Amino acid sequence: MDKLLRDKKAIVVFVAPAFLLFTFVLFIPICQSVYYSFCDYNALTKPEFIGLGNYKQLFTIDRTMKIALKNSMFFLIFSVVTQLIAGLILAALLTNIKKGRDFFKNVYYLPCVLSSAALGLLWMFVFTPKLGINQILAQFGIEGPLWLMDTKGFIILPMWVIASVSLWQYVGQSMMLYMAQISGISSSLYEASYIDGCTKAQAFRYITLPLIRPMVATAMSLNAIGSLKFFDLIFNMTEGGPNHMTDVLATHLYQQGFKYFKYGYASAIGTVLLVMCLIVTFIINKFVKVENYEM
Amino acid sequence: MSKTGKKKSKISTKIIYVFLSLLAVIYLLPLVWVIYVSLKDDKTLFVSPWALPERPMIENYTFAWTAGKLGTATLNSALVCGVTLILCLLIGSMAAFAIGRMKWKLSGAVMTYFLTGMMIPVHCILIPVFTRFSKMHLTNSQLGLILPYLTLSLPITIFIMTGFFQSLPNELFESACIDGCSIYRSFTRIALPLSKTGLFVTGLMTFVANWNELLLAMVFISDDTKKTLPVSLSKFVGPYNTNYSQMFAAIVIAIIPTIIVYCMFSNQIVEGLTQGAVKG
Repeated sequence: MDKLLRDKKAIVVFVAPAFLLFTFVLFIPICQSVYYSFCDYNALTKPEFIGLGNYKQLFTIDRTMKIALKNSMFFLIFSVVTQLIAGLILAALLTNIKKGRDFFKNVYYLPCVLSSAALGLLWMFVFTPKLGINQILAQFGIEGPLWLMDTKGFIILPMWVIASVSLWQYVGQSMMLYMAQISGISSSLYEASYIDGCTKAQAFRYITLPLIRPMVATAMSLNAIGSLKFFDLIFNMTEGGPNHMTDVLATHLYQQGFKYFKYGYASAIGTVLLVMCLIVTFIINKFVKVENYEM
Repeated sequence: MSKTGKKKSKISTKIIYVFLSLLAVIYLLPLVWVIYVSLKDDKTLFVSPWALPERPMIENYTFAWTAGKLGTATLNSALVCGVTLILCLLIGSMAAFAIGRMKWKLSGAVMTYFLTGMMIPVHCILIPVFTRFSKMHLTNSQLGLILPYLTLSLPITIFIMTGFFQSLPNELFESACIDGCSIYRSFTRIALPLSKTGLFVTGLMTFVANWNELLLAMVFISDDTKKTLPVSLSKFVGPYNTNYSQMFAAIVIAIIPTIIVYCMFSNQIVEGLTQGAVKG
């Protein structure tokens, strides 16, 4: 038995396909991408090492990069905070009701499995200047704002709109994760606390919250990475416009790489994105994650 | 609990239900609306986008399906996602079997290597993979899309399947071994059949994720006859003329398959999602 399980040849046969794919399609390209980010490289030339040139241009000259960084950071903070709060509230409410729990759960989770490209087009129509929501508002004599074109303020209105749509689409995922964790908490803990005169709110604060903290860390890192990767909705709702005001890192990268074919420059943006993902995951794991409690 | 307390909790449950129902309306309304608005013609769409259609325009669908090339796109999506799904389950569970059941020193390290893949944003590999693939003439081909999809779907598959294989009882494999069963046979005859739920759950998740993928498909495929669904959708939006009612028909065509899959298997999808994260 033991000999069979230590069969080196079999292990290689089993792991090799996945390992090779991973190495050639994921690991090596990442290293290449980091290398390209130090190169002058476009569709017509070979990569030529230029040191920090791309990064210098990215952080000093490129105006769109500033906007994209700002928008990505906004997006990151917005989705981590709102998904945490909304997800927890929904999970807490749903675990407390008896009838219709599965129905509500499935309804809230539904948009997560739908194509954000399709939903982006749908919401783009809802927020077009003269149609959609504004037409309803007009019937009440209210002139609706230019939802996806307004450019006033530090964080412009379109970003808030897109962020809210993404909250609508993805909050179900956080909710689901929290619910799974909450349902794993032993009910005897709650019974004991109620006997001691604990209210439901107190029980939530002092029993539920500490016990689901590991899941909070997981859900937060998923949200954070997801929000940095965010592309489909923005691309189909505004395409980064008006005038690059709603660009995020992902759309900026796409434009530089596949509209202007500046591969080296786009790789630099990609490297910034990668570093941000790693930092955010590190921070969340360091400060939120704790050792698992016995449950 | 005292009587007033009971009353209070009844009222609060009612409030919770009202709130949850309102929220459910916000979730379902856009989806219901897009279905009936896709049956309108453009003129009534602009005058009163929220009213029900007077006469259902099935033409929108036939137009989107044929002239909008959504028929081909659906087939392409089905082909790419189907092949990815099968390969992913096979390759992923093979690796998971070796990691979860077999004994070797590096299994932990290899697992970590696979799991880091979950943190990597796809944007970072876009350019190197694209330039490499275009040299190998893999862009504009379905294979060129299947390879990265497969690779990106592997981490979650390996992660969930490893958990499944580890939970299988040892005795099964021991007795099979005594009966002279080889390691390959115990993988195909014992481990795989016993992990059907796991395969099903991961399969669903992989399929849904790849079905909706936009960025890679957009970059890798420029040939109209090879585009997948999410990419073909953007064809309905032009800078000067957007044919909205046909666009809505296209949206419905794109989301209906996942809605059906979701309605049939929502419990398994949920299970897969939570299993993927709980053990992390």
